[in-house]
Amino acid sequence: MAGSALRRLMAEYKQLTLNPPEGIVAGPISEDNFFEWEALIAGPDGTCFEGGVFPAKLIFPPDYPLSPPKMKFTCEMFHPNIFSDGRVCISILHAPGDDPMNYELSSERWSPVQSVEKILLSVVSMLAEPNDESGANVDAAIMWREQREEFNKIAKRIVRKTLGLPS
Amino acid sequence: MAYCCLILLGKSIQKLVFGELRISEQQHLKDKFWNFVFYKFIFVFGVVNVQFLQELSFSPTTPGWSHVRLVGLLSSILMISGFMFIICICVGFFGGINTFAFMAAECVLLTIRTSHVLIRYGMFLYDMRQGGMTAEVSWDKRGPVAYHIELLFEAAALIIDLMHHLHMLLWSNIFLSMASLVIVMQLRYLSHEIQRKYRKHRNYLWVLNHMEKSYPLATTDDLKQNSDNCAICWEKMETARKLPCSHLFHNSCLQSWLEQDTSCPTCRLGLSVQPHVNHNHPNIDRIVETENTGRATNNHFFHFNGSRYVSWLPNFSVEVTHINTILRANPLATPTIAHTSQLRNMARQVQQMFPHYPTSIIIADLQHSRSMEITIDNILEGRLQIPSRFQNFDEDDDFGETSQNGPADATLETGPNEYFIRSDTSTGSSSSDSGYEIERNSNIFGNQNELLRDESSEDIPLGDRFSKSSVEREKILQRRKEMLLAIARKRFLEKSKSELNMPTSETITHHRNKTSMQSE
Repeated sequence: MAGSALRRLMAEYKQLTLNPPEGIVAGPISEDNFFEWEALIAGPDGTCFEGGVFPAKLIFPPDYPLSPPKMKFTCEMFHPNIFSDGRVCISILHAPGDDPMNYELSSERWSPVQSVEKILLSVVSMLAEPNDESGANVDAAIMWREQREEFNKIAKRIVRKTLGLPS
Repeated sequence: MAYCCLILLGKSIQKLVFGELRISEQQHLKDKFWNFVFYKFIFVFGVVNVQFLQELSFSPTTPGWSHVRLVGLLSSILMISGFMFIICICVGFFGGINTFAFMAAECVLLTIRTSHVLIRYGMFLYDMRQGGMTAEVSWDKRGPVAYHIELLFEAAALIIDLMHHLHMLLWSNIFLSMASLVIVMQLRYLSHEIQRKYRKHRNYLWVLNHMEKSYPLATTDDLKQNSDNCAICWEKMETARKLPCSHLFHNSCLQSWLEQDTSCPTCRLGLSVQPHVNHNHPNIDRIVETENTGRATNNHFFHFNGSRYVSWLPNFSVEVTHINTILRANPLATPTIAHTSQLRNMARQVQQMFPHYPTSIIIADLQHSRSMEITIDNILEGRLQIPSRFQNFDEDDDFGETSQNGPADATLETGPNEYFIRSDTSTGSSSSDSGYEIERNSNIFGNQNELLRDESSEDIPLGDRFSKSSVEREKILQRRKEMLLAIARKRFLEKSKSELNMPTSETITHHRNKTSMQSE
């Protein structure tokens, strides 16, 4: 099974290299292991994450297109849908079976027709529009709802940090 | 020396990966009582073996020579285990049948595992080598063979392991010690594992059977029309199976997906198949099959948990009856029944949530989507527009009124032939051939994708290319990452500089206004 996963990942890598969506670079961390990718995601314009470049790690299961990969930001993140350890909580990354938050429709879940590109684009739109109903990071969700200014300040600091600039 | 490191590494990896090791280790301690040196030797090899198994399934583009090395190592393990089997026969002569059985079990286990790894590895190599066009043909045929080999090896290993542990337990005179406790735990784990395997296998057979029966092989015309690759593995389709929603997939790809879920991967059309995988459907709580006056019908219970969205929304469940649309496989099967009253019922419930939407609109959408949840979704995401002529309508737009809205209502009553057409609706408008309005469904998903971004419109030719050599690829990727970062940094600095020049307040909202002004 690993063979087909590998071929598919290779195809996706090729597509992402030849035809990259704007502000997204993704590929295996090392060619020795195609099941661990690193992605750089540029914060969407016009949002509080604008300007930042956020590194994230994608870990694919051996039966990849059948099961979703796991995604984890490797930089500091403060976002309602990202756990404090960096794990991303969006419905597209959840297998149809499990429903940790008990709020998603099965039509939004993982299916083998999804791809790395679609995941990353969903993450971009998640950065732009947090879903404060699924509280992966409750503090961030509350702050997003009630103290937007404060939230923007933190986001700004993180953006500077990801760019390697002194805050 | 290198081997020592490897073994140590293997052990640590194993420790990280499986919690099981602790048990084995304790068991290992116990086993020292009889012949610890021998056992330890094998155990170490077992660990190495498992490590390979892990490494193997994750190593993709390893160069040729390392394959040779791996295969060499594996076969040497195989030989050593054979050699040890001979030793244990010798020991068995003196030590009695029990010692023999005990040692032999270890050897046989090791042999089985090693050859399993070897065969898997062989298949993997074969797969990689054939990466081109021919792979598809072989892959499709290979699927079941690989599966059965896998099954056989795993089952054999499990059963022998089970016997081995049973033997150990019985032979140690069943005195209650820590050791026998550990063995019992291991036994429980093993039997659980065997049960799981068995269930999985039954599921596999069931799916296989079901696919043969219900989903016809796509004709060459179908394949020609649909020149896309298989959506699951992204490879070309020489042969394919066709789902009722007319989406095509490879036989083996579809099978492995159906083993874990029962919906079309592309449009999420529920394929009401599995009686025993129901728990995979969180939203369709139960799928009950009923025999209804000789017609095969499936009842779906849609349970909508309103409080997921807003706390005051009600919870309700709806039963939808519709037919098996697999008409081709079962030509005698009469069209299924779906009561329009149920549709109305659903519409009423949706309308409770969104009172400003006219019922007719909701019904029309429900008719397409066949699911309240999709419709609700459509409304929530604004895909369902209220036509201007409805906007003036009263909020209490009720069924009596909708009947005046001729066109919208007509579509409701002249259902596709799987609908239970009531006596008052004799307008037999030609209905689509397949029961479900799939196009509508795929439109929904198409929209979703467009929302994200249309891939095809992303035709910006970048100077980058996809190199054949992995080293070069890595370099290109690295450079692209650096470029992205550098550009972002530059833009950020420029912006903050211009921000400093403007002596206004520093709040981000202002800042955003500024940037938008700048961009203009």
